[in-house]
Amino acid sequence: MFPSLPSILRSYGVPADIRTLLLLRKAMEKGLVKTLGDIYLVLKSIVVKDPSQQGPFTMAYYAYFLQIDIQSGETLDDAIQRSVTFKKWKEKLLSDHPDKHYDLSALINQFLDEIHLTSYDIKKIIDGKDILAEDDPDQLDIGDANNGNSNARRYLDKAADYTGVDLEEILRRMERVRKQQSSRHGGGSHWIGTGGISPYGHGGAAKGGVRVGGSGGGRMARKVFDNPRYFPIDLQSTLRDDNIDAALASLKGVVEDSAETKLDVDKTIKDGLKRGGLYLPEMKDIHTEKMQIILLIDNGGYSMDGHIGIVTELFKKMKTRFAHDLKVFYFHNTIYNVVYSDARRSKAIPIKHITDLNKNYKLFIVGDAAMAPYELNRNSVNHWLKLKEKFRKIAWLNPDAEKYWSRTQTTVYLSQMFDMYTLSPKGIETAVRTMNRKTNEMY
Amino acid sequence: MAKTNFWNGSEKYLCDPELAQAFHMARTLGMPLLIEGEPGTGKTELPLQYASDMKLDLHVYPVGSKSNVEQFVAKFDHVKYLRDSQIEVLNSQRVEKGLDSTLSTAGRSTENLDDYIVMGPAAKAYSSIHSVLLIDEIDKAPREFPNDLLYALSHRKFILPESGKEIQISEEDMPAIVITSNREQELPTAFKGRCIYHYIQFPEPEIMSQIVHKHYPESDEEIVQVAIDIFYHLRRLGLERAPSTRELLNWLKYVQTFSKKEALERINNLAGIGALIKTQSDLEKVQRLLFDGSKDDYGRRSNAN
Repeated sequence: MFPSLPSILRSYGVPADIRTLLLLRKAMEKGLVKTLGDIYLVLKSIVVKDPSQQGPFTMAYYAYFLQIDIQSGETLDDAIQRSVTFKKWKEKLLSDHPDKHYDLSALINQFLDEIHLTSYDIKKIIDGKDILAEDDPDQLDIGDANNGNSNARRYLDKAADYTGVDLEEILRRMERVRKQQSSRHGGGSHWIGTGGISPYGHGGAAKGGVRVGGSGGGRMARKVFDNPRYFPIDLQSTLRDDNIDAALASLKGVVEDSAETKLDVDKTIKDGLKRGGLYLPEMKDIHTEKMQIILLIDNGGYSMDGHIGIVTELFKKMKTRFAHDLKVFYFHNTIYNVVYSDARRSKAIPIKHITDLNKNYKLFIVGDAAMAPYELNRNSVNHWLKLKEKFRKIAWLNPDAEKYWSRTQTTVYLSQMFDMYTLSPKGIETAVRTMNRKTNEMY
Repeated sequence: MAKTNFWNGSEKYLCDPELAQAFHMARTLGMPLLIEGEPGTGKTELPLQYASDMKLDLHVYPVGSKSNVEQFVAKFDHVKYLRDSQIEVLNSQRVEKGLDSTLSTAGRSTENLDDYIVMGPAAKAYSSIHSVLLIDEIDKAPREFPNDLLYALSHRKFILPESGKEIQISEEDMPAIVITSNREQELPTAFKGRCIYHYIQFPEPEIMSQIVHKHYPESDEEIVQVAIDIFYHLRRLGLERAPSTRELLNWLKYVQTFSKKEALERINNLAGIGALIKTQSDLEKVQRLLFDGSKDDYGRRSNAN
């Protein structure tokens, strides 16, 4: 069943594998999947694990099940309009009801309603069946008159009947319909076109279901395409206001805290001896490494201007959220004997002040490392080497894209000395991960 | 699978249809439902309201930075066990010396290891049928906690520490498990893979007015509408911390203590805005955008007053 589905999903950047299919099948066995709209709901719950995957998932769904190819930046309505699937569905609808006039947006709405008709919508009709049955049938017809005169009672029966069809039959039918859909469009019980989108048949439960239950799915799909939040942020791009949260998320990985207690052997023995051999276990908290960070920012020079605000904001946010020990210092191009504690570089702090700090501090250096070669003289290099010697964990975050690093001599030199990463959410994540790995190796 | 009938809210709780469907799906498939979304959108309310509406047992595990899987499942009270075993020695010494008074172990016996097991919410939930288990704010947990949970959640069986007793439940009687997260920390992929995921959308204004009416059935329509208008206006300003449903409800609670005319006036003047805006910089931004700009609707009204 749908063997190529996982690879299609993956090609849209949504993680999926054989387990996705197994879960989907389990959902079918449990009776959760009876319509195309159900597949959307169930698959979404199974594979989408982050709001930013919802956009790509919806694109993949439309491409795979409906052959509607949505270009990025295009609205759902436009993509539907130019799709063959919609055109055929429209032709069929118009030929079934030649006397009626539809405007285009109403058509698209109906199309979306039919795609996203779920068994929850249908369930509402079945639940309401008894109430309807007691009503005067004539009234029902009046209520339905402007919508193709379909008899309410008839489609209810149809919907109810269908729940009795066994799983294998539904599966066979879905697969067949999907195949036919992608190759040719002919007679038979299709989702799209002749049969209506739901297996219950066009103009049947679909209409009633939508009218009774409201169409959450279609509107949802549209909303997804209107909102950039449902698409992934470009993790490779340089840190900006809109991806600062993504960077923050990757920075969080640095935090190591644990809250376990363990037996304090020394205290237990000592107190036990005092009690004359009555040993009562004493517990103590395991103290783990507190997150301590030194941030060294190059805020001199035109090339760094755009980045300083963002970087400080990032680490400030991090500080408020985790209450870490964060020390920020500034320098211009490279370090000689002093760094500065304020952004205007008026309060000089001897570099010794930093190298005297605890070696457990993690050092983040932010700068483009680009300067005139003579600036990086022996004196300066020695200071960098001292820092490198002192702190076990150092990451250099460079706001320039990696491809430009090789153009500046000093950047090449410093990137050989320090682990250098790009100042992007992805780069920060890699830096943090490397830092953590080193920790593990040491203990 | 827990109880699998479809549940879409109660008189007091308006459940978003998509959330109700995801919850139904999770129960039917016997998987935990992981709910993420902005704070104050009713993530925690779902299991609470479901349990009280369906009259099911509810077990809550509030996750904190000190959470571990032992607290969640069950732990063996070594301290108590050691104390009791020492007491036995002491008591026999006392008997030897001919003393009458002995120390008590409160009915616990060191022979019976089960006496020393402290059951956590998970063990409790798995020992009663059709219960509801809420794991609240899992993103506050230490990093290893979600992975430890994985094992516990993927089997319907717990082995209690030391005593080796098994707690097992059939798929039909399984608890409905709901996990909430505020996304302050990214959860491991493998963990998410074991869950049905749902991201709560922020409610549309129409839904919001329904939610308000569920909470305050007697509230005045006009007051609610005006307040909701302003509320969404504030949300669109791009504040650092956009106000959420919970905060709107609190604000309405405040303005409703006044007469209608006064309440409307207060809403337009953004009186008691501290209920909605929680940071100084946001407050400044609101003041700047809404009161200084005389072209703005709300600003003009407030100046007229």
